[in-house]
Amino acid sequence: MNNLFQYVPGNSLIHRMNPVTKIFLTIIICVAAFVTDRLLFLVGLLAVDLLIGIVAGVANRTWNIFRGLLKIAVFLFLLQVLLTRKGTPVFWIITDQGLLTAGKVVLRLVVVCMPLALVLAVTRITDLTNAMVQVLHVPYQYAFTLSTAIRFIPQFLEEMSGIMEAQTARGVAFDKARGLKKFSMILPLCAPLLISSVRRTDQTAVAAEVRGFRLRTRESGYKKYPFTAVDLGAVLFSLALLAGAILL
Amino acid sequence: MIELDKVSFAYADQGPSVQDVSFRLEKGEFAAILGANGAGKTTTVRLMDGLLKPTSGRVLIGGMDTAASSVSERAAKVGFLFQNPDRQICKNTVREEILFGLRTVRGQDGEEALQARTDEILKEFSFSGEEEPFSLSRGQRQRVALASILAVEPEILILDEPTTGLDYLECCQIMDRIRRMNEEQQVTVVMVCHDMEVVLDYAHRALVMAGGRLLADGAVPEIFRDTDLMEKASILPPQMIGLGLRLGAGFENADSPEKMAETVLALRGKGAAQ
Repeated sequence: MNNLFQYVPGNSLIHRMNPVTKIFLTIIICVAAFVTDRLLFLVGLLAVDLLIGIVAGVANRTWNIFRGLLKIAVFLFLLQVLLTRKGTPVFWIITDQGLLTAGKVVLRLVVVCMPLALVLAVTRITDLTNAMVQVLHVPYQYAFTLSTAIRFIPQFLEEMSGIMEAQTARGVAFDKARGLKKFSMILPLCAPLLISSVRRTDQTAVAAEVRGFRLRTRESGYKKYPFTAVDLGAVLFSLALLAGAILL
Repeated sequence: MIELDKVSFAYADQGPSVQDVSFRLEKGEFAAILGANGAGKTTTVRLMDGLLKPTSGRVLIGGMDTAASSVSERAAKVGFLFQNPDRQICKNTVREEILFGLRTVRGQDGEEALQARTDEILKEFSFSGEEEPFSLSRGQRQRVALASILAVEPEILILDEPTTGLDYLECCQIMDRIRRMNEEQQVTVVMVCHDMEVVLDYAHRALVMAGGRLLADGAVPEIFRDTDLMEKASILPPQMIGLGLRLGAGFENADSPEKMAETVLALRGKGAAQ
């Protein structure tokens, strides 16, 4: 789980794209997923997500993200199918309308979440921050806050796993508990997690301050993020996707 | 007491972290696992506590296979003091923290017995019980973590870099308490430690690891005087032994830290006389 948010080094077409283009492509895929009402188009968007992962050379990561999302998707699918009453009954209380709505909800979830996770796999957090500041003129403080939040996700997951391991060593059997019981066992562990998070945030803030955090401007970054023909192609492809979602 | 039989372990998508490691620790032994970062020390102690299951081989705690035992069975026998006490502490008061471990492992003893045991431990560690653990200093938090482990009276105590981030006095307080428990109650102690001075002062046996393999297993003075082994494992011996070796001491007859110190002092005296 920790690895799902970490950068995978590479030199693929997707890796070399401008980080802003990657964000743009991600946003467009998300918007297209919500604009379209056609199941087939959502399947097409999912294929695009998978294709991006394969072209980026992160097929394993893409598969892991997909597998992780599938667990939530199954739960959501069952919930939708069992709660939708509209349409013609197909089996027991399951209706054709329920199946269609559930399919769309689940596909939207997967289609939207996959590029968000993939963009982190193919873009260094520092590049993401710098490009946002240089190209999009986002104030550095905001870009830094966003990138730090993303960077902290795997660290918090690792910390939580360490806390759970320490409690297991004391005899707390997380592996035997299920559902609400497991939740009630994990809940008290939020205190050490919260405290360590506050400590870590404080340390990061002090480290940033002593390195001249407030002196940083848009011109401070030495690395430039030019737009190339690949970026233009990606933007055109994104616009075509959006047009397809609106028109089809 | 605790036995590793041809144990190997590999984390998912990674090469082997521990390879074909075998050793046996008897009741009342005080052993230190030494080695550079990435040598496989922490993985080995996590295997010893059953937090990890071996890819091959067996880990036996008092004859009980960790792969076939439950979390509570293992926790009743083995106490694990982590490098970072904040991962262990999860209650609002020191009393609650100590009671938490006791209730998990010795819940069948009844609340009255658990409260009595908590009072005993609080007194021994000089805590009132009402302190908020997260408001205490790092050394005090490590003492709270140790107190909550010792409360359940484990047969084996595993320490993963227990003195990291502690000042000298805090380090001595923690280690002296562990030594007392080792000597008086014959608790087996296994310690992962980068501070060779602490190893020389407290441990009797040293297991040296490198690249996931066990390089050597012997008495602490014997291990520290083997310069080739130290180099192979990327370990620097304690200052006193390092000085003695530079002065040409072989430490052949020095089988304890005290005798090693005497050898160095004798060499220094000889040097001064010349």
